[in-house]
Amino acid sequence: MDQSALSVSATVARASARREGLPALALLSPFLLAFLLFFLVPTVETFWLSLTESSLTRTNAFVGLDNYATLLHDASFWDALGNTFYFALLTVVPLTALGLVMALLVNRFVRAQGWLQGVFFLPFVLPISVMTLIADWMLQPSSGVINHILGGQRPWLADPYWALPAVAIGTVWWTVGFNMLLFLAGLRNIPAEQYEAAALDGARGWTLFRNITWPALRPVTTTCVILQIIASLKVFGQTYILTSGGPFNTTRVTLHYMYETAFTQSDAGYAAAIAMAFVAVVILLSLLQIWVVSWLDRRDA
Amino acid sequence: MNTKSTLGWTAIGAISAVLLAALWAAPLLWAMSTALRPELETVSSDFHWLPQTWTLDAFHKTLAAGNLLRWLFNSALVSLAVTVVTMAVSLMAAYAFSQLRFRGRGLIFALAMLAFLVPFEALLVPLFRTMNALGLINSYAGIVLPQVVSPVVIYVFKGFFDEIPADFREAATMDGAGPLRVLWSVYLPLSGNIVWAMAIVTFIAAWNNFLWPFIIVTSNDMMTVPLGLTQTYDAFGVRYAQLMAAALLGAAPVALAYIAFQRKVTQGFLAASGLKG
Amino acid sequence: MASVRLRGIQKRYGDNLVIKGIDLDVEDGQFVVFVGPSGCGKSTLLRMIAGLEDISAGTLELGDKPCNDVEPSRRGIAMVFQSYALYPHMTVAENMGFALKLAKVPKTEIAERVQRAAAILQIGHLLERKPKALSGGQRQRVAIGRAIVRKPEVFLFDEPLSNLDAALRAQTRVELAHLHRELGSTMIYVTHDQVEAMTLGQKIVVFNGGHIEQTGTPLELYERPANRFVAGFLGSPRMNFMPAVLAGEEGATAAVRLPDDSIAEVAADVGRARVGAVLTLGIRPEHLRLSQDATSGGGSGGSGGGIGATVALVEYLGDVVLVHLQVAGVDGTLAAKVNPGAAVPAVGARVGLQFDAGHAHLFDEAGQAFAPSRRREAAHAAIQ
Repeated sequence: MDQSALSVSATVARASARREGLPALALLSPFLLAFLLFFLVPTVETFWLSLTESSLTRTNAFVGLDNYATLLHDASFWDALGNTFYFALLTVVPLTALGLVMALLVNRFVRAQGWLQGVFFLPFVLPISVMTLIADWMLQPSSGVINHILGGQRPWLADPYWALPAVAIGTVWWTVGFNMLLFLAGLRNIPAEQYEAAALDGARGWTLFRNITWPALRPVTTTCVILQIIASLKVFGQTYILTSGGPFNTTRVTLHYMYETAFTQSDAGYAAAIAMAFVAVVILLSLLQIWVVSWLDRRDA
Repeated sequence: MNTKSTLGWTAIGAISAVLLAALWAAPLLWAMSTALRPELETVSSDFHWLPQTWTLDAFHKTLAAGNLLRWLFNSALVSLAVTVVTMAVSLMAAYAFSQLRFRGRGLIFALAMLAFLVPFEALLVPLFRTMNALGLINSYAGIVLPQVVSPVVIYVFKGFFDEIPADFREAATMDGAGPLRVLWSVYLPLSGNIVWAMAIVTFIAAWNNFLWPFIIVTSNDMMTVPLGLTQTYDAFGVRYAQLMAAALLGAAPVALAYIAFQRKVTQGFLAASGLKG
Repeated sequence: MASVRLRGIQKRYGDNLVIKGIDLDVEDGQFVVFVGPSGCGKSTLLRMIAGLEDISAGTLELGDKPCNDVEPSRRGIAMVFQSYALYPHMTVAENMGFALKLAKVPKTEIAERVQRAAAILQIGHLLERKPKALSGGQRQRVAIGRAIVRKPEVFLFDEPLSNLDAALRAQTRVELAHLHRELGSTMIYVTHDQVEAMTLGQKIVVFNGGHIEQTGTPLELYERPANRFVAGFLGSPRMNFMPAVLAGEEGATAAVRLPDDSIAEVAADVGRARVGAVLTLGIRPEHLRLSQDATSGGGSGGSGGGIGATVALVEYLGDVVLVHLQVAGVDGTLAAKVNPGAAVPAVGARVGLQFDAGHAHLFDEAGQAFAPSRRREAAHAAIQ
């Protein structure tokens, strides 16, 4: 009997579902329990909370969509959202472009690959507070090395204009390694034959990149950009630690606002509404990414 | 072959590589340089790239004052626990999804993968309330438990198990092994590589987790390293050599893990992002 | 008792009935071969006996005990997989002892049984190696050894030789036959290779499209195929077929008109067929004789030189020569076996084909064989 038919039939109708149901349950129960307690229930609860007026420890009244109505007119919320998108803008392009450049370099200089890749990726495995400590030190007005190189005494993190960009630059240093990995994988998946054919056609350098490499990297680039946007939306630690959302709330991002609402003002219901709005945006972007990548796949097929 | 053009590109590339590498290594190197000098030197107006006086003073002081050792212990314990539990839970679930047939399998798996879409950040408040109700605020269990739900790891393991030929499972079944035994004696040994990769990645992620410990830990003694490091400002005032020493000590475990297992870490992160490396 | 009994076994995938009702008896100690083309269901049936697939309908009895829902490891069977399925991370000894370890057999006894099985298969020197350090043939022995160690009532083999090269396959075939003689266990063996079937089986079951075409000893199936399918499946090169119109019946012989309008005589009992019916004549390559006289005159009985044919291709195999012939009115070529010593006609030459009435087979429109007539029995007896 031919092997593929055998394997198909094996997966389609093995021992009866009844017989395997019990061991399956046993194997799944730890995950299911944790999943229920720490994901499903909290998700539903967030939704529920957003429809109530609650404190951190007690649920008070059911208020329907009141929280959402407030949200729509909440200047602080929209400011925070604006800061978040500004942060995304500041980081997405550099992170994607640099990630690509680094991947190209690592791919090209094979002998130094271990070192090169290591230097670019190492920051990514560091905890956030290491990044913030170093960034804070480097950005010190009088003794910081940045001001030593650039001259002047500007207090970067206390400057309403420069605070968020400074955090953004620190974030780029911290996380670009991951994008580099994505692009590296993408580069390695380009079949060698395409390059060989292009070489025979006489293409090299910039032409090669523009006509072979770049188009082949489109799905990875899209994935990268959207993952970056989603990650930027989730920013919290850096702005909280480095600038506490200041100066003058210029670095207060959406999640920070949510945190403050929940834990400082003890308004869990409103915070939940913020969370739901946040989730909605993330889901939309995630779905967009899946859709665009599959559209690209189908178009190139 | 137009050697001039390719040589030009190679030169540009090499210079860019060196520049970028220097740029990227600079912050950590500068932190090291700062940490190895006396406190007074860090704020002196006389700027030097390398320490004028080399000293381990900052490291000594950091370890003495503050709670760094305690935080390192907490992080180690928590990260290890998260890794072990996540691996166990995920391997079992992945095996069930991959190799066992039961009603609702597709549905439950889809539901589990849905967790990809909902960011952890949105669940902070209810999670806090749940932990409060369970009495787990500021406890090791409280820090560890929510982190063991990892759809990514399950997804990666399931994909791997799907690729293992069914013959092994069938032979083991005929030999008398039940599902758990098959997982333990056959699938696990065959998955060595990927399990290590995901374990290391999980460990690093658990070590670096700032947000959840930030929410659930309320006392200095229970803090993990990322959390504790943000407290150092208060502990040391503004003492940059010590702050840098603290930062480097806090970074050391994961940095060393990466350097030691570079390939596995790369493999793990790539697998987690859904691409093959 | 290590007998296997199947009654009304069916297998359904959704709405698709793939095994259509199997009744089969395997006796204690018998070597039975399931043979048939790809997709005929033989492997599925084997896996149902093993317990790796559910039985949709019917009963399976192992040693007189119904076993439909018994777990595979409790049925008293052991299986040798086509891919061997040796656990890559265990040594040969661990592979062979795994089932016993699971059954909590004491370590000393495991070691002893492994040693004994290894001795039978001559792999004692490989016990500490891992599968990837073994050749294909060695791995196959380990797979068999793993089965032997469990002392099963029934051995199941799922195309065990298909991953070996030709020379190794022939050698292993002999060893398997020897193994059966030595162990005396019941063995059920699945293969698509009819040579393996003919050489190894004490009883052959020919499958096609989910049902049994015929069961019998190799010789029975070869000499008295019950239908066109079995006739064409066993024997290499394949039996030659040509359309034959029933012209008449004379005592114990049927007369049929061949495509070249000659009349041939076949020793078959065509009682139920009507004159003018389009039947199929079957004749094996080794029973076709070539004559230089190409005049028309039917195949048998010596009337004329034989069916007219043109030589299309000649293949020299060393021990035999295959002559492929084109006959008007017949699709494809017919094959004839000629001894190397005899005169071999050149390509393009016209020759006559002759055969004995007692060697030809007749099949009706549905492909069912007509029973051999008494004359043929006599002819056979004479040959014996």
